[in-house]
Amino acid sequence: MKLFNKVVGTSIPRADAHEKVTGTALYIDDLRFPRTLKMKVLRAGVPHAIINSIEISKAIDMPGVHKVFTGKSLNLDKNHLFGTCIFDQAPLAIDKVRHAGEIVAVVIAETEKQALAAIKNIDVDFKELPFILDPIEAVGKEAPLIHEQNGKYHHVPTFVPEPQTNIFYKYHLKKGDYEHVFQDAEITVEDNFEYPLMNHAAIEPHGAIAQWDHTGELHLWSSSQAPFVLREVLADYFKIKQMIKIHIHIPYLGGGFGGKSDYTIEPLVALAAQLVPGYHVKFVLTRKEVFIGSVLGRGMKGHMKLGAKKDGTLVGIEATQYFSDGAYGDTGCNVVLAAGHNCVGPYFFPKCNLKSFGVYTNSAPVGAFRGYGHPEGQFMIERLLEKLALKLGMEYDDLRMKNFLRPADTNSLGQIINEHNGDIRKCFTQTITKLNEIPLPPEDESFFYGRAAVGLIKSPVQTANASSNVFLKFNEDLTVNISTGGVELGQGSLTVLAQIAAQTLHIPVSNIRINYEINTQLTPYEWQTVASMTTMRVGNAIISACEKSITQFKQNAALVWDYALNDIVYDGTKVSYQDRFLDLKELVLGYQYSDGHTVGNPILTTGSSVVRNVTFPDLETGQYQPYEWTFGSQGVDLKINKKTGEITILHFVTALDAGKVINPALARGQVTGGVMQGIGQALKEKIVYDESGNMTTTNLRRYAIPRLSDMPEKFSCIFIETPQPDGPFGARPIAEHPALGPPSVILNAIQRVTGISFTSIPVTKERMLNALKAGEK
Amino acid sequence: MELTIIINKKDYAFSVDPSDSLLSILREHLSLTGTKNGCSQGHCGACTVVVNGKAVKSCITKAKKLENAEVLTIEGVSSNFILHAIQEAFIEATAVQCGFCTPGYIMELYALLQADPDAEKEEIHKALEKHLCRCTGYQPIIDAALLAQEKIKNS
Repeated sequence: MKLFNKVVGTSIPRADAHEKVTGTALYIDDLRFPRTLKMKVLRAGVPHAIINSIEISKAIDMPGVHKVFTGKSLNLDKNHLFGTCIFDQAPLAIDKVRHAGEIVAVVIAETEKQALAAIKNIDVDFKELPFILDPIEAVGKEAPLIHEQNGKYHHVPTFVPEPQTNIFYKYHLKKGDYEHVFQDAEITVEDNFEYPLMNHAAIEPHGAIAQWDHTGELHLWSSSQAPFVLREVLADYFKIKQMIKIHIHIPYLGGGFGGKSDYTIEPLVALAAQLVPGYHVKFVLTRKEVFIGSVLGRGMKGHMKLGAKKDGTLVGIEATQYFSDGAYGDTGCNVVLAAGHNCVGPYFFPKCNLKSFGVYTNSAPVGAFRGYGHPEGQFMIERLLEKLALKLGMEYDDLRMKNFLRPADTNSLGQIINEHNGDIRKCFTQTITKLNEIPLPPEDESFFYGRAAVGLIKSPVQTANASSNVFLKFNEDLTVNISTGGVELGQGSLTVLAQIAAQTLHIPVSNIRINYEINTQLTPYEWQTVASMTTMRVGNAIISACEKSITQFKQNAALVWDYALNDIVYDGTKVSYQDRFLDLKELVLGYQYSDGHTVGNPILTTGSSVVRNVTFPDLETGQYQPYEWTFGSQGVDLKINKKTGEITILHFVTALDAGKVINPALARGQVTGGVMQGIGQALKEKIVYDESGNMTTTNLRRYAIPRLSDMPEKFSCIFIETPQPDGPFGARPIAEHPALGPPSVILNAIQRVTGISFTSIPVTKERMLNALKAGEK
Repeated sequence: MELTIIINKKDYAFSVDPSDSLLSILREHLSLTGTKNGCSQGHCGACTVVVNGKAVKSCITKAKKLENAEVLTIEGVSSNFILHAIQEAFIEATAVQCGFCTPGYIMELYALLQADPDAEKEEIHKALEKHLCRCTGYQPIIDAALLAQEKIKNS
């Protein structure tokens, strides 16, 4: 029976692998329904304009067309806005467009071709307005106002907008004597930084299918990480008074990375379907539409200043970050908050004065993206520490080791760091040790060779009452079905959660089935699948449900034996008391005596895990209690081609204090995948708009995500395991974290070996070459 | 126009529009949804299938050019619930995460290793370079490809 004790910590194959390698796993675009109509949309093509008129009559008469509509034709107004933080968005433009990808008209037709033909017959007359893409310019007094109603939108108390400006949210965190941050400083360094807009570029484009049935209930299938957020938003928007009348279904997701969290196209698809009751309306974005019409990530311009003693002890930090959050601010609010207090990195500062602004601009809206407000600050602080070390004449690594948060230190929010939060010094020293295993070649005729290492920290950003909940049922043959609202988007949740259940129940992992398909009618509430929290939060809910199941088996046995529950032992195959035992199969539906009468109940339980002690930010000080942290470190060896500027990653090392690794192969996959995304951000990826305010990086060539040839020659993944006391088997979140460090560590390595100090990314081959050439002069 | 294509060893007669892609034939006419549409522009490789022994991106391949062509999709790779060695290798090397790019990679390798089971590592890299994966960081996919080659050689 002890055989199954060791499934946690082993690299069992993925639960969903068979379906995925045979092409039988179903994603949103693979779903087929009767009476399905296709939806296509017309997008503005101008970044900021008043809609004078939209002529749809020609399109309505086209073959196969069922409906054509605009915001005006449906009489939408300021009472038809949705959101979760700031209700500033309508499903499509009403009287104004605020970014070039904004939808102004919708066609529902029998086929995609017919819908596209009809779209071509819609004429829009705009009165164009000045537009703005730069977040710092957008907060200037001269800037065109993107939302005249800013300040009048319904919003939750935490996010206070500044009326008559483009600032929809300002976060200000004060720690210690924040007005005299550098009073004790003997040396200061500062710089301006830019982390441009980026795209998640999940290989599966977003899609949704909606149907309103004959009783007026809404059925929606979506490629979403957030079924229960969708349910809330749609119930509110469509004034559906009972959630039992909304059916949200989630199939497999082809990657998310935050780009499919909250909501994107779902309110509009539901609105379209409402016009053709009984029909399924299907809308799948083209790749171009994913870029211009879903959500973007990042987009920060900022300034940071550090103060230190001559021995390198950090004494204070000031930072101001402006986030170009695009046309709508709702999905950006919490990113701005997280960026504000996390920009200090894993370092101790007695004084902090940190400001972050969520700013309306005329780009596509910005939302969650792997790292959620952390990569931007991590980039600034680690680049500045490099500058500080140079100025102090101090070893880079010594400066970091000196200032890493220690147990009993307080972070920017005043939270006390404990031993159990993990060991950043161990992560950092092991990263360097790993790098040192392979000597870095000296500069030669063709190449510079550079090395650097940085620290990282991330806290999962979640709403204060975020919870995970599961249903668990034992079947007659002792297999177990567990139902969760956690979405499998590639991260491996189906596998890891089954491992957690198997080990808790002491049964084979092959006997556990976690549902992949989510249906809000059947699946218990789950806040959303974000913040790297599925292993931890859903895992804890599963442990709770498993423990209750074990108790139920014992309860059934106790009824038979009339012994106290505490004396009965469960071992995964039977329950026993001294020399008496009952097979679990005899108890799984309750115990049936030989005459037929039955005592006890079938084994059926629930489990919950609610985030505790998380609070809302104080409006005056910015202080609040978020959840805890994961510490880590990343290091790189790279070479720079002197003739071409090409940067090759030779060795990339990631060390994370994971608490406990449930499945090493899957954890490693999160690291290699996250590192590659980070390398893409460091060297290749950037959303670009042209002079007309239209995006030019709208395909996977122009927006160059890393290819196989961009891969490091060697990946190293190190997992430290300082158990998280409230984590399942000690585990803590690790999924977003590997994407955080690559930009700063790569740019630091470049600086160490060439002396060239980049403060923005990406450092493309061309940019590197130009900088090398400029240095020669 | 009328057209016959042999798909997964079965003959299919279609009436197609000259602009129809092979991908739309597979997905929309036959509901062979294992072939994925990631970009419709030939950039991501998710839609890769094997046509007359060669890996092609079905989204930019016009159906009208495929009279009597032999097409193999992911649905035709395994039979009777038995996985192909490449599929086994993808599972064993943890080369699958979200799975959306997976069928395309498998078809690419199928064409390559069918034509040349002894393909050099460089050739394998060159073939895989045509595809995009946003989840794995590529290392597990290379591992899977080399493992698949070993399995095929040893079988």
